[in-house]
Amino acid sequence: MKVFPEDLLYSREHIWVRVDGDMATLGITDYAQESLGEILSIEFPDTDTYVERDEAFGSIESTKAVVDLIASVSGTIASVNEDINDDIGIINSDPHDTGWLIVIEMDDMEQLDDLLDAAGYHDFIMQQEAE
Amino acid sequence: MTTWRLLNYRPNNAFENMAIDEAIFRETIKNKKTPTLRFFGWRPAAVSIGYFQELKKEINFNRCRLTGVDIVRRMTGGKAVYHHDEITYSLTAGNSEKLFPDDIVRTYEIISLCLARGLSLLGINAHLAKPVIPRKEPATTSCCFSVPSGNELLVAGKKICGSAQTRTHGCFLQHGSLLMTFNPVETAALILSSQAPEPSEKLRQSITAVNEVLPSPVSEETLCAVLQKGFIDELSIHLSEEPLTPAEKVLSGQLVKKYESDAWNWDRKNEVFKEV
Repeated sequence: MKVFPEDLLYSREHIWVRVDGDMATLGITDYAQESLGEILSIEFPDTDTYVERDEAFGSIESTKAVVDLIASVSGTIASVNEDINDDIGIINSDPHDTGWLIVIEMDDMEQLDDLLDAAGYHDFIMQQEAE
Repeated sequence: MTTWRLLNYRPNNAFENMAIDEAIFRETIKNKKTPTLRFFGWRPAAVSIGYFQELKKEINFNRCRLTGVDIVRRMTGGKAVYHHDEITYSLTAGNSEKLFPDDIVRTYEIISLCLARGLSLLGINAHLAKPVIPRKEPATTSCCFSVPSGNELLVAGKKICGSAQTRTHGCFLQHGSLLMTFNPVETAALILSSQAPEPSEKLRQSITAVNEVLPSPVSEETLCAVLQKGFIDELSIHLSEEPLTPAEKVLSGQLVKKYESDAWNWDRKNEVFKEV
């Protein structure tokens, strides 16, 4: 049973976004972690790195594939989740909370308008699975 | 009927092979091109490591150097592979292709079905591996072929094809190795597995090759031909043999420098990427 928390925004690249002022916390969605399977490695950017929306900010390897992590918004990396270095399994077990990946200080809040809400992301997944 | 581009079998060195795959992948993303199916070999022999692997932990560097075996880091994940006498396929396509859903496992499954169908034309009965939870056996887990994952190909319980996939920007690249013959002793010597008393014997028990299961050996050309037929029949597509585009040639020429570089192969630093 896939989980779609209502308080998050979602990209079509299967990244969730939690907004707090001009700070956006990003992680992979429950759907993404389930599709990837057991996650083995992750590559993060350095803090203070600038990332562009729709560009890769890192990559993630599971037992099935290496997949780029695509930024949902542009901005400067304020922090990365160091806890993942101790237990990468939290991305699989708790993707929407303790398995968060990075925090971006956004410089264009209007980019959030292009993201989906939980219902929209659910519909997007259903549409993809139907194709 | 959908037409895919075919780049037919050609041996290259390891750096050219990985550069060509990445160039095709990038151009497919950029121009939303139709799928490309490519077959290639490795001359000289080489060991490739997965994107996230640490070269010094996985590979016997001195033995590679002494025996003239190249070492290259792939852009796909997975474990180390000794490429000696094999056919490697690569398939690059966008998620917009109706034949391939935006689903990693299903993509493996579809490609495996095509390969199995091709192998069946030689009388080889290959079937999909069921997903397994890898056992903790450090002695042999450095080698890509030693543990079958879901949706990869087995013949009589032994792995005959190992594949790896990467995805970004709505496209995927999957490449995989079909061994013509298998040399477990050299594989165990090149890919570090010193913790096992009999690493080559373990590999021998878990891996097989096309010309080991056939009564008389086939050539690379014959194997490529049946694999192509497998894709055509399974997916009802047409393959059109075409060369690399001029843009792909230029890009692959630049990317060769990345794949030759110590920065990429030892430290996973993509210095060339910034220039391309």
